[in-house]
Amino acid sequence: MKPFFALALAAASTAASAQTPATNPMPDGSRDMYAGLGVVSKPRYEGADSSKVSALPVLQVQWSNGLFISGMSAGMHLSNRPTVEYGPLLSVHPSRDESGSGRIIDGVGMTSAPAILPLAERLSRSNRLAGMRDISARPEGGVFFNYYLAPEWRLTSSVLYGSGTDRDGARLELGVQRLAVQLAPQHTLSFNAGATIVNADYNRAYFGVSELEAWTSGNPVYRPGGGIKDVRVGARWNWAVSPSWMLVTNVQATRLVGNVRNSPLVERPTNVTVSAAFAFRF
Amino acid sequence: MMQRAHLTACVTLLLTASLAAAQSHAGEWVNYRDAYRAMVQFDKYGGPKNLLLNQLQVLPRDKGVLGQGVQLLIQGKTVQTSLALDATGRTVLPLLKAAYDENAVLSPSRALGGFTIRPRIALALRADGSYDDAELRGACEQALGFARYADNSARGRQCVGVRLVFAKQGEPASVRVRAQGAEHPLPLTRGAAFAGDIDDDFPVVTYRFGPVASEVITYNAPLAIVPLFE
Repeated sequence: MKPFFALALAAASTAASAQTPATNPMPDGSRDMYAGLGVVSKPRYEGADSSKVSALPVLQVQWSNGLFISGMSAGMHLSNRPTVEYGPLLSVHPSRDESGSGRIIDGVGMTSAPAILPLAERLSRSNRLAGMRDISARPEGGVFFNYYLAPEWRLTSSVLYGSGTDRDGARLELGVQRLAVQLAPQHTLSFNAGATIVNADYNRAYFGVSELEAWTSGNPVYRPGGGIKDVRVGARWNWAVSPSWMLVTNVQATRLVGNVRNSPLVERPTNVTVSAAFAFRF
Repeated sequence: MMQRAHLTACVTLLLTASLAAAQSHAGEWVNYRDAYRAMVQFDKYGGPKNLLLNQLQVLPRDKGVLGQGVQLLIQGKTVQTSLALDATGRTVLPLLKAAYDENAVLSPSRALGGFTIRPRIALALRADGSYDDAELRGACEQALGFARYADNSARGRQCVGVRLVFAKQGEPASVRVRAQGAEHPLPLTRGAAFAGDIDDDFPVVTYRFGPVASEVITYNAPLAIVPLFE
């Protein structure tokens, strides 16, 4: 049996990991929908030493034909077996700019050459993204494949392509989830662990520093290759406060590894994201 | 700054956690959608299943609170139905689109102190109380086929027998096996109806499949005949 409350309520503005909720059979023409709002404390960018607290929209919709929206991802369950899930997956990779305390230049587009920072600013390097080229949010396309070792243990995987400055970044996410440990009636705890493997184009877009960017930002030139980008562990606590309201709480620790860890943009390889949100079930 | 933000988030979580702990005894409902999701798997299963029963079981958190007369209520905007529970807490859940769309709630007719639900597969009962060994094996294989369909961890298991579960009250349970012209009784013990049940005080009789063709005869109707996998 599928564990109850195993739904992976996705945080629309948390980490870029693609979300695929468990398959959810329902009557023809029906849908199951959660929507809500909360707060998230997360690093200012991947590898940042500082964090920021922001509003956290939550959205998950599943339709009887298999279509789903889960946070920043959308896809379709094509499998009719309860132990395997697969299908197409679309996602939006979050943008990155120098927003934050060090922001000096406004309106730097994703394709325009960044302006040169004053020498003093370059030397101080209080914000390592200052002077780096902005990267807009990118739509990504790919597929997902999940396999249940047992009803409460799920291996997850997804491949997505289209991120980065030149839309040629690719990432493979692998994970394992322990779904829905019931603490008490209405309270479930889920655990997950995983890793992200990316191509060189992805790493150069988000963690590399070109010669131009080195000149404009003060960061040293850095051309990382592909490989394992990060490993992560997390826990989710779902509390069904009432038949319609649920409190969704997430804690996730991510550690940047390999080439990425040595990027001059990375101030701190290990980051923690904490979020809590109320969601209404429609 | 990062530490302060995390501290604020942690304090918020702790406050909500303590609130949750204080209200944990109020969990006297389950979403119909979650029950539907668990139960519809059997309907979608395309393998042989004519010898099986698919039922929803109410599992109270505390032992002994599921007395006689407890019903499971389905309450939605327009759907209002009550389902009788047997002594093991099982009932057949109707799969209703209206209840699903209304996000109906399942709740017991009287307080149980918190409960969860599980889908349970049992063998269909025969009116004459007589079960041929081959028929029991066939039914157990059907149950195993469904278990393998729904749970990859069941792939390495085999059918080894059945457990007959009887009511705690009434006539003492009596089960005999007839084989090669002789008849002998099977021992009665106490145990849980289904694996994982908190109530482990039901009279149960275990029949393990053997090499000899036999017949199992029950002299009182069992509450359930549960397939055994090992």
